[in-house]
Amino acid sequence: MKWAKSWYLSDVILLALIGIFFGAIFMGTNYVYDVLTAALSPIGLGGLANELLLGLWCMPGMLAGYMLRLKGSATLGELLAATVEMFFGGQWGIATLISGIVQGFGAELGYIVTRYKHYDWLGLTASAATTTIVTFGWDLARNGYYKLQLWLLILYFVVRFISMFVFGGLLTRLITDMLDRSHVLKSSHSN
Amino acid sequence: MNPSIKLLLLFIIALEISFTTIISLNIALVILATLYLLWRRTSLKTLGWLLIVPLLPAIGLWSTQYINGTGDNAQMAWVLFTRIYAFVFTGATFTLTTDILELADALEQNWHLPAKFAYGVLAAYNLVPKIQHEVKVIRMAGLMRGQTLSFWSPKLYFKAILVSINWSQNLAQAMQSHGFVEDAPRTHYRHVPLRASDWSILVIGIGLLQIGAFAIPWR
Amino acid sequence: MATITLNNLTYTYPEASVPVLDHVNLTLPAHQFTLLTGPSGTGKSTLLRLMTGLIKLPADHGQITYDDQDLATLAATDRAGQVALMFQNPNQQFAMDTVQNELVFALENRQVDPQVMTNRINEALDFVGIRDLQDRQINHLSGGEKQKVALAVIVAMNSDVILLDEPFASVDPAARASLLRRLIKLRDDAGKTIILADHDLTDYETLVDQVVQINADRSLSSLPKPQWPHFFAAFSAQAASDHHWPLPKNAPNALFDLQQVQLQQGSFVLLQPTDLQFLDHRNTLITGPNGSGKSTLFEALVRLNPYTGQINYHGDNIQKLKAKRYARQIALLFQDAETQFLNITVAEELAQSQKYAYGDYFTTDRIQQALTQLNLAGRDEQVIYTLSEGQKKKLQILSMLIMQSPVLLMDEPLKGLDLKSVDALVTLLKTTQAATQQTLIIISHQLTGLTSLIDYHLRFDQHQLQYQEVAP
Ligand SMILES: Nc1ncnc2c1ncn2[C@@H]1O[C@H](COP(=O)(O)OP(=O)(O)OP(=O)(O)O)[C@@H](O)[C@H]1O
Ligand SMILES: Nc1ncnc2c1ncn2[C@@H]1O[C@H](COP(=O)(O)OP(=O)(O)OP(=O)(O)O)[C@@H](O)[C@H]1O
Ligand SMILES: [Mg+2]
Ligand SMILES: [Mg+2]
Repeated sequence: MKWAKSWYLSDVILLALIGIFFGAIFMGTNYVYDVLTAALSPIGLGGLANELLLGLWCMPGMLAGYMLRLKGSATLGELLAATVEMFFGGQWGIATLISGIVQGFGAELGYIVTRYKHYDWLGLTASAATTTIVTFGWDLARNGYYKLQLWLLILYFVVRFISMFVFGGLLTRLITDMLDRSHVLKSSHSN
Repeated sequence: MNPSIKLLLLFIIALEISFTTIISLNIALVILATLYLLWRRTSLKTLGWLLIVPLLPAIGLWSTQYINGTGDNAQMAWVLFTRIYAFVFTGATFTLTTDILELADALEQNWHLPAKFAYGVLAAYNLVPKIQHEVKVIRMAGLMRGQTLSFWSPKLYFKAILVSINWSQNLAQAMQSHGFVEDAPRTHYRHVPLRASDWSILVIGIGLLQIGAFAIPWR
Repeated sequence: MATITLNNLTYTYPEASVPVLDHVNLTLPAHQFTLLTGPSGTGKSTLLRLMTGLIKLPADHGQITYDDQDLATLAATDRAGQVALMFQNPNQQFAMDTVQNELVFALENRQVDPQVMTNRINEALDFVGIRDLQDRQINHLSGGEKQKVALAVIVAMNSDVILLDEPFASVDPAARASLLRRLIKLRDDAGKTIILADHDLTDYETLVDQVVQINADRSLSSLPKPQWPHFFAAFSAQAASDHHWPLPKNAPNALFDLQQVQLQQGSFVLLQPTDLQFLDHRNTLITGPNGSGKSTLFEALVRLNPYTGQINYHGDNIQKLKAKRYARQIALLFQDAETQFLNITVAEELAQSQKYAYGDYFTTDRIQQALTQLNLAGRDEQVIYTLSEGQKKKLQILSMLIMQSPVLLMDEPLKGLDLKSVDALVTLLKTTQAATQQTLIIISHQLTGLTSLIDYHLRFDQHQLQYQEVAP
């Protein structure tokens, strides 16, 4: 496991803690999800709530990739968050873990295609795009999206990309800008 | 049973039912999982909870497919509805009967996962209650200064990351002063065996799943 | 066993421009108990971290040796056998969930044979006298119990040198005495070398072999024995005070009215059911030993912590009040300054307070004046996180004062401040209060300079919270 060598213990703990913190914050969004799903289900758009909020759940990965700038940090960030969530009140069990891997890999792909060089809007947009594509591909099977009418598929895809971009791109950028300005990352980040 | 093999088996089941569209297979898995949970003395309250929690997302998926699906949309709607329950119940057979320490032990001992990953996550996991409290504290600090910090406020996440950085350094140092050295060999007090029986259960489990998915002509 | 020498040690944090420790030379003989003292921020923690290898000493910056072996050349896996460190904050000190599992974790790291682990764990727990805690969740223990667990881990690891960084900061007096007894036993019976950093110097005079001070020029020196009586006496004189405060009379419409309020952390009861009133437009001081539950009480008053019983604010049950409105009434100055900050630069932080302030007493001019008074002027664009602890504290207090909420709960407002800053701060509090009638409830260990501000005194000790006429 050569890649494992470039990770320090404190990096692992940091990513796990960030995942848990974000999970604890997202718990507060459950009511948004519930209300939206209940309101939209009668017209057959119940899945839209999921599309709207998915960017939030993929944020730990995109942010970890952007913040730590290590190969694999996006995947690991999302996976660690998912592992902890699986054990802590995660009623989705193993499905959480699978989603974590899919989402984390999706986010990582954006940094891979930009060769881990573009820690700017290009990298973030690429990551939002690849996360959208990868997770959408996964939902074609898992959530039966391949059986949906085309207009709905396009709507879902567009909404999902917007969500990824807003939360994983815009919000991530705002957060990391604050971190940069506060000079706290430099000292903590050992690599 | 070895937790890592259990996880692998359930992982494969979850993956496979993501691609099959057999309602009765999903239901069969829910029933099997329920029996297992009852055998492991899961309380009825917990089981009831497992039934209620996924209901809304399940209805969301069901209605989307039922109203806006193509082809045999009623069939697909019920596939998705039951699939969610199959995910939740098979998942619960793992999370309700295995603790994270057992899994960490198995991954470290049987699969040679570097100890820093196993114990790093464990250390963070043990802070979960503190973290939930800290989120409240951050929000309160905002409210007292006239600012509501919602889930879309960058400041909320910024503060959370600051605390994470702080705590991760403290924890890493504490672990090091308890003798932990990255990538150094360790002894093991709790032994997690990986027995032939574990492998058999895995193989038989996967076999049965294939029979359920391909051989039995149910739908 | 180990004699430690520090040779010409100089250390500068990568982000800092001046060294914390400058050309330090010192010998710490084996089997001795050394007390390390020095004002806040002088580098005690830094030194202990350097001595454990948690912070790496760059080459050419001196040497730390254990029995002539350079720490830098000691294999990381052998280091823990040589030296162990116990931290000040008991809360982020453990990786595992239960006491037993933490001990196992440490012994596994030391590559101890699993066959003998059970014995070593039991011996360590017995030595510290906490066998009954073996299977408890660490999260549910009190601060004192956590520190005992931390000591048990060190005993089990059997390191030659034991370093302790303010280990009693959240420990009650009984637990402190018990921990100190074990440390002496470790020195006398097991021949351990012990180095302990502390602010509170009570009880040490007859126990320790050496007192080391961090000097103003960032070097270390050992205090000659003849000077000890004077040194320790100066400390106990400072602790005593003869101030008198009246007992309050119960009022019909008190600020806070506590009815049968009980506080706990996990399963540990901090406050037995208590009836009590806080009075409006009066300043109340709360004192009590570390870990007695003072901060927990404040968190209950602002609804951050659960409690049983009922708390009324001006006659209304606080649980029934709207969160947003209530937060504007009662502001809490957190014990840890960083918790309070929401922004990045000093100017942004002040601007936020001014924008959302409850009253208009703090005009831009008055803020500038206050900044000058507190010696913070001209730092508008500085990043908060690069301020010193004392500067952070002053900025934190000013930001919360500007808010002008009717009630301000202050948790250790004087922490890390020098006397000059304390005076400036108390003056500021007095002038502000004369104009705005704000009610202050203050938790403080340090009373010097503060007493003239106080109307009533509450003592929080032994699970009781009671008004008292005298200072501790
Ligand atoms: N990571 C860091 N980066 C830069 N400066 C630091 C860092 N940690 C500490 N310092 C600074 O080094 C100095 C010494 O800090 P240290 O924590 O060692 O003091 P201390 O004597 O233990 O204080 P206290 O009694 O308050 O615990 C302080 O001025 C502090 O601001
Ligand atoms: N989140 C928590 N979980 C478990 N125990 C806690 C938690 N927070 C505090 N404690 C414990 O509760 C006790 C009271 O803590 P608290 O911070 O209220 O004490 P305090 O009187 O403010 O002490 P100090 O003077 O050191 O600030 C301590 O023993 C502490 O270790
Ligand atoms: Mg210190
Ligand atoms: Mg406190």
